[in-house]
Amino acid sequence: MSELKDRLGEIIVNERVAKDIYRLEVAFDSLPENIKGAQFAHVKLNDKSHILRRPFCICDFDRVKKSITMCYAVVGEGTKILSQYAAGEKIKVLLPLGNGFVPDKSYKRIVLLGGGMGSAVLPAIPTCNPELEYYTYLGFANKDKVVLEKELAKVSKAIKVATDDGSYGEKGFVTDILAKDMEKLKPDAVFCCGPEVMYKALKKALQGFDVPIIVSLEARMGCGIGACLVCNCKVLRKGVEEYARVCVDGPVFKLDEVVL
Amino acid sequence: MSNLKVNIAGVEFKNPIITASGTFGFGREYDRFYNIEELGGICTKGLTIKPRQGNPYPRIAESYGGMLNSVGLQNPGVDHYLATDDLLLAKRDVVVIANIAGSTIEDYIAIAEKMNDSKADMVELNISCPNVKEGGMAFGVLPSNVEKVTSAVKKACKNKPIITKLSPNVSCIADNAKAAEQGGADAISLINTLSGMAINYKTRKPILFNNNGGVSGACVKPVALKMVWDCYNAVKIPIIGLGGITSYTDVLEFMICGARAVQIGTHNFTEPLGARDIAKDLENYVNENDMDINDLVGTLILNK
Repeated sequence: MSELKDRLGEIIVNERVAKDIYRLEVAFDSLPENIKGAQFAHVKLNDKSHILRRPFCICDFDRVKKSITMCYAVVGEGTKILSQYAAGEKIKVLLPLGNGFVPDKSYKRIVLLGGGMGSAVLPAIPTCNPELEYYTYLGFANKDKVVLEKELAKVSKAIKVATDDGSYGEKGFVTDILAKDMEKLKPDAVFCCGPEVMYKALKKALQGFDVPIIVSLEARMGCGIGACLVCNCKVLRKGVEEYARVCVDGPVFKLDEVVL
Repeated sequence: MSNLKVNIAGVEFKNPIITASGTFGFGREYDRFYNIEELGGICTKGLTIKPRQGNPYPRIAESYGGMLNSVGLQNPGVDHYLATDDLLLAKRDVVVIANIAGSTIEDYIAIAEKMNDSKADMVELNISCPNVKEGGMAFGVLPSNVEKVTSAVKKACKNKPIITKLSPNVSCIADNAKAAEQGGADAISLINTLSGMAINYKTRKPILFNNNGGVSGACVKPVALKMVWDCYNAVKIPIIGLGGITSYTDVLEFMICGARAVQIGTHNFTEPLGARDIAKDLENYVNENDMDINDLVGTLILNK
């Protein structure tokens, strides 16, 4: 009956990897068998003033070390406190949550597209589906915000990085750069995680290409398991706009069903 | 001999731990963590006569030792409930309390009539949702309205005990407790969330789309304890206490203030196994002290 567990993990790495961005690796006694790409972990802080768990995508996992890696940006008090936890600190984590991304059996070539911290969702996808070919496109505001380029380069046939201000990689929006390459790439699907503005740009940039676009949404959450109904997002189902729960109906949705 | 069973309006609970409406869905999600039959009872998500979409995002914000929500009673409607979860929950060995809400007195009567066909053990009357613009809350403020809606529901739903859930956002909650009792409530539960706001100083905007929301979590416990005590001294019907409970000692405090049972709400989010763990801790406590938990109710000793 108890298929879901609250796991006590130990922080083995919590290091700054870019401006205000940290890589957190937590090891457990065991890892669940069924981790999929783009699922998330719900992390409890150890001080009682912050009662809500923090949902972070499972950036990657290591079955040998029985660990998961999460990447987070320090944006508020909770992530600031988390950034101060040292290796050895024990934290409670629910995982894996959310529907995750399961590539269709017919897929061979996939574009992974990351915007800012959304890039943190991408690495677990090749880990879970190593048989596929990946072409990776990452966009960041500037040089200081670039993360996960090395990790994703290892598992990609090709990788392109762009910054809005041109301080690193190509200058411009990565969605436009991808659009130029689409003809020669001919991917079976585009998987994207980034801010909402990026999804709007992506929709426009890839108009006319007959390719499924799959996105991973983020939301403020309560329970993380579908009971509290606070992480609502608007989706179009059978022609009717309705609310879905990001935590269990997502975080992965088809872009054309998400009402932006 | 130690005892953890409590009885509210003729309904026996194996322990006084009930999960609060809106924090526990219809029990399915938490059933993935533990057998919900280990709880005394569960309160369903607030049901309305028609399905409700609820409020736009964002619906949640954190505050020190607590949180705010403004879900706005998103639910699949009472007919959907009666055809699905009502039947599933009836098979489980746990007290089921169906929480019902409305915008008009006619709504309340209509849904209360539907509840005659429900297999739920009790009905909790939500007259205090702060997150629905067009009503609900309006019935929870004036004592005359509390009495009116309670008595209308009591008349419409004849085969189940009615629990009126009281709002703390009123001038004197004890008066509303009396009004509920006068209206025929078999029990009262309190407190619902406190009306509040969370602000982003950078944008100068409220975080919640709805601007206002209901505050819950550990930070509201002192307010809830005082209100339970005030109501305990005002009415004879049993009280279900809630507001910021995160441990078995919190439960003991609520019972000492006059609660016969308690509800666990926000704590379910922090600790998904929390309600079950509190029930276990409470069982250990009564066993170690060889006591009947009912003997605690209303035993507060005030300072002179």
